[in-house]
Amino acid sequence: MVEPILEFRHVGVTLTGRDGSVNEVSSDVSFSLAPREFVSIVGPSGAGKTTLLRTAAGLRRPTVGEVLFKGEPLSDVQNGISVVFQEYNKSLFPWLSIFKNVAMGARRLSSAERAAHVRAALDAVALSGFESRYPWELSGGMQQRAALARALVSDPQVLMLDEPFASVDALTRGLLEDVVGDLWERSSFASLLVTHDVGEAVYLSDRVLVLSARPSRILADVSIDLPRPRSQGSTRQLKRFVELEAQVLDLVHRAGRTVAGESADA
Amino acid sequence: MIAGSRRAARLRRVGFWALGWVGLGVALLAWQVAAAVDHSPLIPTFTSTLAALWHMLASSFVPSELVPSMIRLVIGFVVSAVIGVVVGLFTGYYRVVRDWTTAVFDFSRSLPTPLLIPVALVLFGLGGTMVVVVIASAAIWPVLINTSNATAALDPTLVDTARCLGLRGPFLLAKVILPAVSPKIFAGLRVAISVSLAVLVVAEILGGSSGIGYFISSAQQSFQITDSYAGVLVLCLLGWIADSVFLFVERRLLVWQRGIVGGGHG
Repeated sequence: MVEPILEFRHVGVTLTGRDGSVNEVSSDVSFSLAPREFVSIVGPSGAGKTTLLRTAAGLRRPTVGEVLFKGEPLSDVQNGISVVFQEYNKSLFPWLSIFKNVAMGARRLSSAERAAHVRAALDAVALSGFESRYPWELSGGMQQRAALARALVSDPQVLMLDEPFASVDALTRGLLEDVVGDLWERSSFASLLVTHDVGEAVYLSDRVLVLSARPSRILADVSIDLPRPRSQGSTRQLKRFVELEAQVLDLVHRAGRTVAGESADA
Repeated sequence: MIAGSRRAARLRRVGFWALGWVGLGVALLAWQVAAAVDHSPLIPTFTSTLAALWHMLASSFVPSELVPSMIRLVIGFVVSAVIGVVVGLFTGYYRVVRDWTTAVFDFSRSLPTPLLIPVALVLFGLGGTMVVVVIASAAIWPVLINTSNATAALDPTLVDTARCLGLRGPFLLAKVILPAVSPKIFAGLRVAISVSLAVLVVAEILGGSSGIGYFISSAQQSFQITDSYAGVLVLCLLGWIADSVFLFVERRLLVWQRGIVGGGHG
């Protein structure tokens, strides 16, 4: 078996509020992500998907268990892990042009190399010609593509996506899914996607992990045996796609029902 | 946006601007008429005040009173701005620092500034140093509090994004936090400018050996009422120039912010 690039070993996360309140978000989460693999995490609202992703990105440490990146315990943000957040309007820097925003992802390169890499990354997300614009001059979909370019300009080994398409309209959403899918097919990064959209998870992934309600565990690990390359038009029509989507959706609903009435999570 | 609406907006702006000057003209005319009718030696007319001002500008008033005041104003303001921004960033960003300093700052900033003057007089004696110290210790609060509050209220997504891009420590503060809170800093600085001007005059009246404040009070004490009024006019001009320069700089530095605000409404 291939050495995983990212591995969760019995990870539990407990948030402690300033008032001393204790909130166990995840109890025991284990999974691994192989190089070049595309894995999605879905689960009922409040299952702590975003907290898990922040843990995977090294933004917070697990309370128990450990996260391994390339076999080493992850204790802080890492070179080689890039993250795209849901709220592009809060994650792009509004005081910088699109070019400079993307260049922030390539700070480790020399300035000559940087310009070439930034241009290539913008080209890859079809934003050539918008270098000197400011984020707020672009549409939501374009802003999220810029955020994607910034995440990929450093040529990461893992791309993490936290509900990356939740703030855009349905049509843009489909287009962005294909942008991510195509980039993933053409490059060599592994991807970890957190989403509440089951269809999106099935459409993009090799495997879909279903989380239980809080405190979350991995309830199911569903292999997505759909042919690649995929496209919105054909893949979503496949009988197998519909089956898988229904299967995962059912799992998510069951996970949500187990705590119906006792969870107050938004 | 559209060129037509932009031109209309500019016309409207010019309209407001012109109205402002007409209002000022009416006020000055009222002063002129009231003083001429009253005929009291205690209220000089606007024109005689203007004549005194004209005379003063060619006299030793400029090098021995105006210039020292302006130097004190600038030094006091710059010192308060630099310390206020730096300390505000730290107290805002680090929760622990904020918890430790809140009470101290709340007490210190509620001290009425004139109260500092006798103390500063004892410590620094009559003259410029005392005035600068009093200005800085009064003008620092709006800057510090604004910077600190804005930093504490920053969206976590922005900070997470910056951390994932590998920014940390002083880089994080300088490249992301500082620009992100700069609109609030500017709001604080603008208040600090008018505080600086007010404190400058009070400190010079109470304990200066030169400067505009000193000039106004000694002119008044030697019954040169018109000169005293002319000094007040100089102060008005100084305040207006300082504010205009400030707004000009702000508009240049915060272009991106106007874009966001505009986009939010459109």
